[in-house]
Amino acid sequence: MREINAKLTQEMGDLARDLLASGEVKGVFGWTKGSRWYLTPPVFITKPEEADQLCYDEFAVNNLTGLLLDFRDSQDKIAIFVKGCDSRGIVRLVQDNQLKRENVLVIGVPCPGMGDKGAVTDHRQAQELPLLAKCLECRYPNPVLADRTIGGVTVTTEPSAAPSGATAEAAKGRGVGSKQADRFAQVEAIEKMSPDERSAFWQAQNEKCIRCYACRNICPACNCRECIFDSDKKNWVNKAATPTDNAFFGITRAMHVAGRCVECGECERVCPMDIPIMAMNRKLIGDLNELFGPYDAGVKPEEKPPLGAFKLDDPEEFM
Amino acid sequence: MKRIGVFVCHCGTNIANTVDCAKVAETAKDFPGVVFACDYKYMCAEPGQVMIQEAIREHNLDGYVVAACSPRMHEPTFRKCAERAGMNPYMVEQVNIREQCSWVHADKTKGTDKSIDITRMGVAKVAQNEPLFSTTIPVTKRALVIGAGIAGIQAAIDIADAGYPVTLLDREHSMGGKMAQVDKTFPTLDCSACILTPKMVEAAQHPNIEIVTYAEVQAVDGFVGNFDVTIRKKARYVDVDKCTGCGLCSEKCPKKVASEFEMNLGTRKAIYVPFPQAVPNKPVIDAKNCRFLVEGKCGVCKKVCPTGAVDFEQKDELIVERFGSIVVATGFEQFDISKYEEYGAGRIPDVITGLHLERLMNASGPTMGKIKRPSDGKVPEKIVFIKCVGSRDEAKGRSYCSRACCMYVAKHATLIKEKIPTSKSYIFYMDVRTAGKNYEEFYTRAQNEYDAQYVRGRVSKIFQVGDKLIVRGEDSLLGRPVEIEADLVVLAAGMDPQQDAKDLARTLGISYDQHGWFTEAHPKLRPVETHTAGIFLAGACQGPKDIPDSVAQASAAAVKAAGLLSKKELTAEAQTARCDEAYCSGCGLCVSICPYKAIELKRISERVHGGTRERQVSSVNQGLCQGCGACSVACPSSAMNLKGFSNDQILAEVDALCQR
Ligand code: SF4
Ligand code: SF4
Ligand code: SF4
Ligand code: SF4
Repeated sequence: MREINAKLTQEMGDLARDLLASGEVKGVFGWTKGSRWYLTPPVFITKPEEADQLCYDEFAVNNLTGLLLDFRDSQDKIAIFVKGCDSRGIVRLVQDNQLKRENVLVIGVPCPGMGDKGAVTDHRQAQELPLLAKCLECRYPNPVLADRTIGGVTVTTEPSAAPSGATAEAAKGRGVGSKQADRFAQVEAIEKMSPDERSAFWQAQNEKCIRCYACRNICPACNCRECIFDSDKKNWVNKAATPTDNAFFGITRAMHVAGRCVECGECERVCPMDIPIMAMNRKLIGDLNELFGPYDAGVKPEEKPPLGAFKLDDPEEFM
Repeated sequence: MKRIGVFVCHCGTNIANTVDCAKVAETAKDFPGVVFACDYKYMCAEPGQVMIQEAIREHNLDGYVVAACSPRMHEPTFRKCAERAGMNPYMVEQVNIREQCSWVHADKTKGTDKSIDITRMGVAKVAQNEPLFSTTIPVTKRALVIGAGIAGIQAAIDIADAGYPVTLLDREHSMGGKMAQVDKTFPTLDCSACILTPKMVEAAQHPNIEIVTYAEVQAVDGFVGNFDVTIRKKARYVDVDKCTGCGLCSEKCPKKVASEFEMNLGTRKAIYVPFPQAVPNKPVIDAKNCRFLVEGKCGVCKKVCPTGAVDFEQKDELIVERFGSIVVATGFEQFDISKYEEYGAGRIPDVITGLHLERLMNASGPTMGKIKRPSDGKVPEKIVFIKCVGSRDEAKGRSYCSRACCMYVAKHATLIKEKIPTSKSYIFYMDVRTAGKNYEEFYTRAQNEYDAQYVRGRVSKIFQVGDKLIVRGEDSLLGRPVEIEADLVVLAAGMDPQQDAKDLARTLGISYDQHGWFTEAHPKLRPVETHTAGIFLAGACQGPKDIPDSVAQASAAAVKAAGLLSKKELTAEAQTARCDEAYCSGCGLCVSICPYKAIELKRISERVHGGTRERQVSSVNQGLCQGCGACSVACPSSAMNLKGFSNDQILAEVDALCQR
C-alpha cells in the first residue's frame, strides 16, 4: 500500500509540475500531507515548484470539487484530482452551469478506499484503519469523467463497476463497495420507528447541531451564490442554533440537495457532531428514485436532475 | 409603515350568513398597519366601490384588502376601483372569505375565525406590496391558421375579411381536410365538395390570404402579438410557379400506389394531385414511392413536363415569420378500428369505416359512386352499421362521444337506400344522439322513409362464412341475441385527436386533455381560447365536432384573433418574474423549466475586489412571462421572485397566520 501510494504521489507531482510549467493550467487542486499521520488535507498550488507538496494516500478523503466554486466566474483553467466519488461533483457543477467544462482539467485517480480516522487509537503511531462508511457503500469507485488519469484507473459511468487501476487489489481487499446493498439500511430503520420515536430521534440530532456549516461548505451540490443561512433577511431563519432553527436548517439543506446529492458522504464525514446527515440525503434519493425512476446525480452530464427538468410522464399525484 | 384599509363584504347573505362580517372588520382594525376597516353589503356594487374610494382619499390609504369573494371573480373590479382613486392597482389584495369560509363552514364562529385569519394574512401581504406597472407590447397584424380543413378555411376567410393578412397552412398537399373526403353532408344532404370547393377557391383567391400547403410548423417562439413561427415547407419536387397543373406527369408516371385520399380503395401515381378539386391544383412527388428518387431511374415526369416544373433537387425549406395571433384548426383523425379485434377490422376486407363508405359513394371516388364490396366488387344488399366504434368505450380508452357518428350513419343508411333500393340497413346503436338543428327529423326520416332498422345493442363478434359476414350481437330491447348475415359492415369509427397533436401542443405551448384534444381556457366562458394568450382553437382539434359546429367555432376563433390584431398594442402582465442578479448563480434551471420560454441567461460584468468579472445570470423577458411562478419555485437560490407573490410576501402571510 505504502509503495503504491508513493508511486501515485510521484505521478501526481510530475503531472502537476508539467501542467503548471507548460502553463496549461493556472492552478492545481490536490492533497498534501498534514500535520498528523492521519491527515491529508486539500492544497492548491500555482507554481511548478510547489508540486512536491502533493500527496496521495488513504487519508486524501476530502472531496475537492466544491473548492472549484472559487473559480466559477473566472476564465482560468484549473486542474483537479478526483477519486470516483469526487468526480460526480464535477458533473454536478457543470450541470449547474457553475463551471465551464473546458475550464477544468479533471485528473482521475484510483481509490484504495479511505481510512476512518475516527478509529485512530494511538495518535502518534500509524496503524491499520477500517474503511469509512461511505467507502464501504461506494458504488462509483472509478471516476465518471476525466481528461487525464493516473495510476491506470479506468473512467466509467457504469454503477457498481469494480475498482480499477493501481489500487484495485487493495480496494477489493479492504472491502470498497462491499456494503452497497446497505445504502438505505439506516433510512429503513428510521422509517420503521413510530412517528413519536422518529421525531424524538431527529429532535435529539437537531439539538446537537452547532451550525458550523461544515456540511454545507464541503458540499459540491450546495452552490448558491448566497446561502439563505448567511442571508441577513432574518425573516427566513434565525442564526441561533436552537433546535427549531436547526431542524429548519437540516431539512432545508437536505431538500436543497435533493436530486443533486452525489453521495460523496462528505457532509456526514465532516460533521463534528456526528449527525447522520446521509440518512436524510438517502431518504430523499430513495424517494426520488421511487417517484421519478432510478437516477444517480452527477453521473451523466446530459441527464437533467429529476427536480430540475420537466418530463411528460412525471407523477402528478396532487393534481 | 403603510396605511392599510380593510373592506369586508357581506355578499348579500352569501357571506354574512356564516361570517360575522362586522366582527371581522372590527378585529382587523387592530392588525398592524390598518388605519381603517369597515363592512358593507356589496363591496363590488357602485356604492361599495365609492365607499372604498372615499376611504382611500380620506384616510390616505397606501393599500387595501377586500375580504369578499374569489379574486377570479372580482380582483379586476377592485384593482380598477383603486386606480380610479389614484392608487396603484397592485396595492390591492383580495382574500376569499366566501368560497373559503362561508361556503365551507356551517358554524358561524369557525367561519368568522377563519375569515379573520385570512384577512390578517392579506394585510400582512399588502404591507409588503409594491406598486407594479404593466408595459405594453406591439402587435404584428398578421394571423397564422394551422390546418386548412373547413374550420381553418372559415377562420382564415373571416380574419382576412376583417382586413388582416392571414397565412393558411396545411401539412397535406391540398386544402380541404377531412371534409374533402366526405360525399354528402347531413342534414341537408348537399354535396360536400359543392360547398367546400367554393370556400377553398375563395380562400385561395382572397387578397389577404396566403396559402401554404405541404408545410408544417416546426417551432414557435415569442408571445402574443409577436409569435415567431418557423415553418418547414416540405419539398414537393415540383415548382408550383412553373407548373400549370396540366396533369401530363401523373398520366405518364409508371408507379402506382394506394391512394390515402381514397382510403386505400383506389390508386394514385407517385406524382399526383390528391383529388380533382385540390387547391392548389399542382402535383407533388411522393418521395418514398418515386422511382427516380428511390432508385435513380425513370424521371418520366421530368421529361414529359412541358414547363420544366419537375425539380428533383428541391429540398425542404425553413422560413421564419412573425404573426400576432395563431388559430389552431388541425382537426381529427378517424379512430383506428384495428383496435377492435372482435370485429375483424383490418383483417376482413368487407368490414370498413364510415370514411371508406364516403369514398365508395362519391361520384369521383374509386368506384365512381357505385357501392361495391372491397373484396369482390359485389353490390351489397344487407348492410350492418355499428355505432360508437372508438367512442364511449372506456375499455378502448375512449370515454367520449364522437358526436357526428349518429348522424353520419343515418345519412349513410339514407344514401344507400337511394343508391341500392333493394338494400336493407341494420344499425346497432347504444343511444341515438341528434342534438342539432333538423337532426332529429333527419334521423326519423332515415327510419321511416328509408327503412333503416335500428337495433339497440352491442355487437360482440363479426366473422366470415363464405362470402357473408356474420354479425353476432344482442338486441337489448328485446333481450335476446341477434345474428345478421351481412354483405358489408360499416363501423362508425369515432374521432381521435391527430396522433401528433401533443407534439404540436408542446410546440405551441398549449395544453391538451388525456386523449390529446387541445383544451380551451374555459369550457363555458372562453371556449375558443387557449391558456396561451393569442392562440385560439377552431374545429375538431378541440374535441369531436361536426361541420356546422366546426364552422361556427372557426368564426368565433376568427373574431377573437381579429379582435386581438385590431389592438394598437397589448398590455403585458405586470405580475411577472424578476431575477435578483446578486443571488442568481446562473444555473439555468429556471430557463429549462419556464413553459413560456421567457427566460434566458445573459452575461453581466460586475466589479469584484477592484477588478471586473463576467458571469451568467438569468433574465426574464417581461413580454413573454405569464407570471406562472414555475421558475421561482425551481430556483435553488431564491433569486427568482414573482412580483406580487414574492417569497417575502408569502412568508409574511405565513408569519401572520402563525402569530395569532
Ligand atoms: S449532501 Fe453530502 S453526500 Fe451529498 S453531495 Fe453534499 S456533501 Fe456529498
Ligand atoms: S456539520 Fe454537523 S454540526 Fe455543523 S452545521 Fe452541519 S450538521 Fe450541524
Ligand atoms: S420520376 Fe417518380 S414521379 Fe416522376 S414519373 Fe417517375 S416515378 Fe413518377
Ligand atoms: S434558477 Fe435561480 S439561480 Fe438558477 S439561473 Fe434561474 S434565477 Fe438564477
